[in-house]
Amino acid sequence: MFIAMILSLFAARLVQLQGVDPGQYAAMAAAEGKISVVLPAERGDIVDRNGQPLADSIDGLMVVADPSLTEAKAAALAGFLSRRLDLDYFTTLKRLRMPDSRFQYIARQVPAAHARDVVDAARDKGFVGIFTRDDPVRVYPAGSIGANLLGFLGTPRKNGAARPSAGLELAFNGYLSGHDGEARYQVGATGSQIPLGDNTVDPARDGSRLTLTLDRDLQWYCQQVLADAVRNARGDSGTVIVGDSRTGEILCLADYPTYDASRPDLSPENLYGSRALSDAYEPGSVEKTLTMASLIDAGKVTDTTRFKVPSVLLRQDRPIHDYFEHGTLRLTLAGILAKSSNIGTVMAADKFDRGQLRSYLTRFGLGSRTGVGIGGESPGILPDGSMWTSQTADRIAFGQSLSVNALQMWAAVNTIANGGERVDPSLVKGTATLADGTEVGSGVAQRRRVVSEDAARQTSEMMERVIDPEAGVAPGAAVPGYRVAGKTGTAQRVVDGVYDGSFTVSFAGFAPADDPRFTAYVVVHNPRNGGGGGSVGGPAFSKIMGYTLRRYAVAPTGTPPSRLPVEW
Amino acid sequence: MSSTAPQRRPATVRSRFAPHLDGAALDRARLAVVPRLRSRAPRVPFVMLVSVLLLTGVVGLLLFNTSMQQASFTASRLEDESKVLAAREQALTTELDRLRNPDRLAALACKQGMVVGPPAAFIDLTTGRVTGVPAPAEAGPCLGTPPAPASKVRR
Repeated sequence: MFIAMILSLFAARLVQLQGVDPGQYAAMAAAEGKISVVLPAERGDIVDRNGQPLADSIDGLMVVADPSLTEAKAAALAGFLSRRLDLDYFTTLKRLRMPDSRFQYIARQVPAAHARDVVDAARDKGFVGIFTRDDPVRVYPAGSIGANLLGFLGTPRKNGAARPSAGLELAFNGYLSGHDGEARYQVGATGSQIPLGDNTVDPARDGSRLTLTLDRDLQWYCQQVLADAVRNARGDSGTVIVGDSRTGEILCLADYPTYDASRPDLSPENLYGSRALSDAYEPGSVEKTLTMASLIDAGKVTDTTRFKVPSVLLRQDRPIHDYFEHGTLRLTLAGILAKSSNIGTVMAADKFDRGQLRSYLTRFGLGSRTGVGIGGESPGILPDGSMWTSQTADRIAFGQSLSVNALQMWAAVNTIANGGERVDPSLVKGTATLADGTEVGSGVAQRRRVVSEDAARQTSEMMERVIDPEAGVAPGAAVPGYRVAGKTGTAQRVVDGVYDGSFTVSFAGFAPADDPRFTAYVVVHNPRNGGGGGSVGGPAFSKIMGYTLRRYAVAPTGTPPSRLPVEW
Repeated sequence: MSSTAPQRRPATVRSRFAPHLDGAALDRARLAVVPRLRSRAPRVPFVMLVSVLLLTGVVGLLLFNTSMQQASFTASRLEDESKVLAAREQALTTELDRLRNPDRLAALACKQGMVVGPPAAFIDLTTGRVTGVPAPAEAGPCLGTPPAPASKVRR
């Protein structure tokens, strides 16, 4: 009887095991001694056009503590850790003594080799309760070089995912990050894998490498020259862009002030982005080159068309002046550009048919984003419809009442350098995919003809006269030995919706003028030394263009410079 | 028991079909069972052989398993070691990259009195023509600001 009762119990248990819920028990048995490990995908590097690292991922560890174990020797341990890991002593001490806690972060994202050394040394000294865990580190070996474009990764989220904070790191996060894999296998008591046990591996797919068109060394030089130019002019900020005239590849894009991507915590957040892309400003007289090229392309004028430029031009709502006092001047179109006469430009622009200038400027790329792949790019403002009045048209002809971002303006001026064909500027060499699936980069850069080759050549020859010590206003922009074409710009700045009396000065140009290889654009906002585009932007342009030509071993063409007459 | 049956049956056959045959001829024609050759092979070696094979197999399997396990230990140890070495290599590469930072190099070069290259001239070797306006380098102030001291550890 007794035996029968026992057997019934066994039978009942058997039914429970096999009949009621067999799957769960089988899974529990299988899970015993089986572990699953995330195989982290390595984030892709960001390198410059020559493969020099700008952002790199390395193995990192976080150092964590179990306060219930560390409390006993907290003071000594805190001293040791703060010294070896460069931490604040008191914060560390507080964490090591945290009551009712078994997990405290001590240091995050420490390079793996260093973290292991420190923890091993701590154990050797008899400290307990200090551990490490995976915590990948992103390093920016170039520091502030290209920082405004790169952005950076903040402290990872709780689940270990990267937290891109700005720039290319943010825009190309999906492209760079890849997919984590997973390995499941059975382990023995010591934690080693059982050789013949079940194991499945879903390998990690590493992120892709992002190759930029930037040239790290040139980028460094641009940043230094820009910093000097802005500081010497006592300006607020500035931008330099240098790119290949033929391909539209940007070789350097510098913003000032900048920050150190490896220590973003030391700089305010408003410095993280690239203001060359996010800020729109009025380009001023640099825009006259676009007006002139369009006029010539439309067949309205040529580089030697003669104008009688009065000292003041009375228009509908207000008189238009030039920045310099003069009587009636007899200038050619080249002279108007070389002397940067607003009055002359308005007189020439009067020859446009209705809507013609706007359509040209649109084709030059003004009013729409360049789409180089950085978020937060400003499209600029190109007035249309009811906003495009005859007064607006006058001012737009010489670069006011419209706004651009610096890269847009670079691409527009580069159109003239590239024989009248606009090529999309690119920051990514080859192609890379944005979060929304858009492919960007030099591999997919579009080209479109804006003005004829002849119009571009005539404009370029007129722009050479700007550099001429006698005919032009910016002899400081000359590069010894080379033919340089360029144009100055000085524009009133709109601050909080009104012209506040401050200026934006700039210089855009390309060299060699008769076979352009590089186009450079220097912008300085709010110089307080009274300088204009020629005196502030010109010398910086000259240094940067000279350096770029030497760096890429571009020989001077050796042809005589343009002698277009400026007066008649 | 088997010897009695053949002896009786021929007698019956003879009496029924060949009564005239004499006994000697019958004796010659009689079929007899060849005595079975009983092999007396010893059993011990076979048992030994099987046992040895079995034992070798079991021991071999055990050794194999042990060595696999050992190899697995070694593999995890080497994997750990390779991880540590890879981390060390990365740390060194990072250090190299930091040393190669243009900011730092420029500051060092400037300290030694070096300046950015002045305008150069180009010689076309086929025509011997010289283009460009060369200029001697001039000592000047350093470009930009010296870089902020890089900290070794990042939080």
